[in-house]
Amino acid sequence: MNRTLLAAVAAMALAAVPAFAADPIAIGIPVGLSGANSVVAPSVVQAAELAVDEINAAGGVLGRKLVLDVADDGSGAVGAQRAFDSLIYQKKVNVLISMETSAARNAGLPAVNRSRTPYIYTSFYEGHSCSPNMYVDAWVPEQQVPPIVDDFMAQYHAKKFFLIGSDYAFGRGMLGFTRHYIEKKGGRIVGEEYLAMDGTDWTPILSKLRSSGADALITSTAGGAPNVTLTKQLRAAGINLPYGNLAVDEGTAKSMGKDATGIFISASYVTGINSPENKAFLAAMAKKFGADLKTPNDLSVPEYEAVYLYKLAVEKAGSTDPKKVLTELGTVSFKGPRGVIRMNVQHHAPLTMYLGQVQDDGSVKVIRSFSDVDPGAQCPHLK
Amino acid sequence: MKRMAAAALAGALVVAIAPFVLDGYTANVLVRSLLFGVLALSVDLLWGFTGFLTFGQSAFFGVGAYAYALTATQLGVDGFLLPVSLLLGLLAPAVLALLQGWLSFYHRATPLYASVVSLVVPAVVTQVLYSGGTFTGSSSGLTGYDMPDLSVPQWLWLCGGLLVLLTAAAAVFVRSDAGRLLVALRDNEMRCAFLGIPTTRLRIGLLIAMAAVAGLAGWLYAAYSGVVAPELAGFDLGTQAVIWVALGGRGTLVGPVLGAIGIDLTSAYLSGSLPFLWRLLVGLAFILVIVLLPQGLFPAIGRLILHRRRAAPVAPPALVPAATATARARGEALAVSDVARHFGALPVLSGVSLRAAAGELLSLVGPNGAGKTTLIRCLSDGTERSGGTVHILGQRLGSLPPHRCVALGLGRKFQTANVFDSLTVAECLRIARATIDRPSPWRRAGTLALPDAAMEVVQATGLDRLLGEEARLLAHGQKQALELAMVLALDPALVLLDEPTAGLTRSERLQIGGILRRLAQDHGMCLLLVEHDLDFVREISTRMVVLHQGRMVLDGTVEEVAASDLVRTIYAGEPH
Amino acid sequence: MTLVLDIVTTAAILFAVSAGLLVVFGVMKIINFAHGAFITLGAYAGLLVTQAGLSPWLGLPLAFIAGAACGAVVERIVVRPLYTRALDAILATWGLGIIIGQLLTLGFGREVQFVQSPITGTLTVFGEAYSAYRLFLVLAALAVGGGFALLLEGTRLGLNTRAVIMNEDLARGLGIDSVRVRFITFALGSGLAGLAGALITPLSSVDPAMGVPWLLNAFMLVIVSGASLLTLALATLLLGGAQVLVSTLVSPILGGLTIVVLAAIVLRLRPAGFAR
Repeated sequence: MNRTLLAAVAAMALAAVPAFAADPIAIGIPVGLSGANSVVAPSVVQAAELAVDEINAAGGVLGRKLVLDVADDGSGAVGAQRAFDSLIYQKKVNVLISMETSAARNAGLPAVNRSRTPYIYTSFYEGHSCSPNMYVDAWVPEQQVPPIVDDFMAQYHAKKFFLIGSDYAFGRGMLGFTRHYIEKKGGRIVGEEYLAMDGTDWTPILSKLRSSGADALITSTAGGAPNVTLTKQLRAAGINLPYGNLAVDEGTAKSMGKDATGIFISASYVTGINSPENKAFLAAMAKKFGADLKTPNDLSVPEYEAVYLYKLAVEKAGSTDPKKVLTELGTVSFKGPRGVIRMNVQHHAPLTMYLGQVQDDGSVKVIRSFSDVDPGAQCPHLK
Repeated sequence: MKRMAAAALAGALVVAIAPFVLDGYTANVLVRSLLFGVLALSVDLLWGFTGFLTFGQSAFFGVGAYAYALTATQLGVDGFLLPVSLLLGLLAPAVLALLQGWLSFYHRATPLYASVVSLVVPAVVTQVLYSGGTFTGSSSGLTGYDMPDLSVPQWLWLCGGLLVLLTAAAAVFVRSDAGRLLVALRDNEMRCAFLGIPTTRLRIGLLIAMAAVAGLAGWLYAAYSGVVAPELAGFDLGTQAVIWVALGGRGTLVGPVLGAIGIDLTSAYLSGSLPFLWRLLVGLAFILVIVLLPQGLFPAIGRLILHRRRAAPVAPPALVPAATATARARGEALAVSDVARHFGALPVLSGVSLRAAAGELLSLVGPNGAGKTTLIRCLSDGTERSGGTVHILGQRLGSLPPHRCVALGLGRKFQTANVFDSLTVAECLRIARATIDRPSPWRRAGTLALPDAAMEVVQATGLDRLLGEEARLLAHGQKQALELAMVLALDPALVLLDEPTAGLTRSERLQIGGILRRLAQDHGMCLLLVEHDLDFVREISTRMVVLHQGRMVLDGTVEEVAASDLVRTIYAGEPH
Repeated sequence: MTLVLDIVTTAAILFAVSAGLLVVFGVMKIINFAHGAFITLGAYAGLLVTQAGLSPWLGLPLAFIAGAACGAVVERIVVRPLYTRALDAILATWGLGIIIGQLLTLGFGREVQFVQSPITGTLTVFGEAYSAYRLFLVLAALAVGGGFALLLEGTRLGLNTRAVIMNEDLARGLGIDSVRVRFITFALGSGLAGLAGALITPLSSVDPAMGVPWLLNAFMLVIVSGASLLTLALATLLLGGAQVLVSTLVSPILGGLTIVVLAAIVLRLRPAGFAR
């Protein structure tokens, strides 16, 4: 084995003679192809592929092509570490742009920080994850929770809330914020239960929900699978409380069929957004993927926009040099399907939020929208 | 020994130059693979050498990892906190191992149950980690904690050096006299127990030591990688370790280490391109190895490459007479009072009482099913009988397990030649002496001391010329003699023999008869024989006891008993 | 009341999943570690049916057949050479489980997928609405248990099987083809595993690794039960009930541990387990 490695090292040394403009820019995408996130991961990859296609067709970035490198992080910490290591050290990508569970993100950050690779995190999450090398273009609880809680309290006069989540940083973080917000607004929490991320049996928790006398249910589970199992079992048990799901996307909702009807979601993207950018985006997606299209959603569209943001940052910096790119990522802005995106508030982005309800056919009807919601002070130590 | 030193040196050299020839990514992954190599080493010592199939070493790995991560997160790792964290990383797994050992290893445990418990432990640890909320990070695990400020080459040298050191130490231990005990445990645990060896304590002790080793590897893993998650303590990693050992070659130490490193490195490389095909191949290779090549790949490849069967055999030790006779309590050799044994409602023994003094040679006779072997079991294992009392040299048997009974001065020879098949004659005898002459954990002693009685048997039967021979290659009669010598090696005052002439030729029978008589008359032992050969019995016994349907029906001199009508009835089946 | 129903339905699910493993253990005295993979196989059979648009009920017999066919092949090739090496049989079947898992991943992809439930909605039991499908599972478990009891007590094959369970050497001495009995038993046990897989997926999801958590629980339940379906039913009620109680009253995460921990303790105190 040592001899082969020596040969490989020699070959790489020879090949490292700079080739300038012909050299492609590699975007690494560690994402949950297996595990809890595997339901939504395909849509994320598709969004990135469309962005790359469009940018390459228009001449690339600084005359260089973009290429994608996807690695499976298993939706978990140990898998993420391997995926990040592989992309950063083996494939030597220029940037990481992806959506993943908080467990995976936390596991990958040490490698990102050690190697100083720019990382754009495109998933909504529980907030307050900070690194000079990471930017976030998706929402945090300060932007997402108030619409649902306010609506439940106003429309359904809900006073007693029951919270259910997956037991990891995202679940606990989201519900922690929710709890504070509800109590600040005068509501009461009658139950807060967690299940392991890969758990599928919600029976005891549902029994507790039933006996708690709650007026409304708010959940924050990991990715796709836990959402589906919880909702299925919820409906199978005949529970029909107002149900706000902080962590479901349209695609997953569609795959749940009738079970998803009535669920409230608060998102920065719904397919029904009436803007020329979104219409063009949806048309392009349909054209590229046809029958294989996975519904664009609040986890995949930020990925699309992030690729463009990276392009703009590189062009403004004039190179892919990590330090320069990281500086510019905080200044560039892109008008995408979700509107104008600029990650300039302590590495996070103000966003337009939509409160919607899932219909019988799986689509989301927008009830109200809120523009330019501030993410708050996520990382006071970062500029 | 020379070959081992050369191998260790080669290993150290590879570790030393590795950072200079490997690219960054490989070096990065290799550090983790080396730690997995340590984990595989611990599994091999437990499974390959003592026969304990364990899926649970990963639990200790994970506990060690979390020990680092938790202390780093809650307290930091500056100054004295680092050694404190290391201590925790060694102690916590050790305590867990104590618990697992207590649960798995006890007098009547089966190997299956021990493996079952080893499956349960990682499941429990993982779930406990999951339920720890923000303290353990639950599903997310812990990350972002302080790590030692070492570069990748430095980590490579540290972990590689540790691996080479531990493997070398293990190799030295395994080749030493004490290391042979492990193989004895695997081959024949019951024989060990009846040689006075506290097998339970040994197994638990080894488990604790291996837990600390695995915990150390986990601790370093956490310190290096900056991420811990419940998967590190889980069932998946535990079974992976078993696969590494099986493929590498159980019981070879180096095979499992290389297997772990090789598989882990290759997985890291292929995880991007063909992850499933690779896992499929590993699974296939695993099954093929288990079914067709249980020794593993490393020995097979080794044989192909080196064209040599095995290392030159170590020269056997020289026999010397034991220094002084073991001090024994005074008292009647054997006092049995009203012993009973029943299985459920079925009585096998009832109301058996007898007394025997030093120098007597008692023969226990009776038709099949009379309960003779059961009686022997009740006399040698305090937990067997259902009622009555037994005293050996004036001391109560109580409910002592076999190894404690043996310590009272008892020896038991089994019906089938019960020795250690993979060990040489000399090694078997040394194991037999283990409780008196502590075997060295790092070398092989040049001499082996035997008391007079054992020496006599060894010399009379020609075993002293076969000291280097593997026990399983001995002829049946020689095996019987070896077992007798092993039993006598502890200088017992009372010896129980279950059909000592079974399968012996006429001349062998004569020889053993003479030996037994001399043991009683010249060495002052009390012997209790179970025998079918009435002629043999008549020639050598001083007394005969007859058992029939679980009861003692006759106890007297050879003439009285042999001539009695009752015996004729019992054996011939009709009144005279 | 819901608690009681939870316990009964959980016990039923555990019974359905463990019955196949018990049967194999009783006859062959080996633990089939590929059991989890057969469960997964059956679940994917159910998935195929859903994807083909057919009635979900068809998934059940298809899953059984898939499991049984795979089991037959496995027994012939892998298990037969290892009759006398029990611990090695555990390892070999575990390796097999890995292979089956990887083949399924190659064929179906590694993402989590979902299956249509054949019964939706709730039934009102004692004044409370309860999941109709879970209640149906109780019936399914009873059917499996009953069917097996009938097979064992009422057929010649069953008689031969009972003989082999009690004393294989003697049975062979009496002319019973124990190799054939083992073969059929293994196929049957694997078929049952597949069926169980198809039964449980409407409640959760399908992915290549779904069988593993079930394997451990089933394994402990089988060892504790010995060789009798009746004691298995008892064990699932007691231990499954404990699991539901701990999950509900303490924490769902610790609840997942209850069965294995309790079973290990029971075996330590009473190596024969619940068997008489």
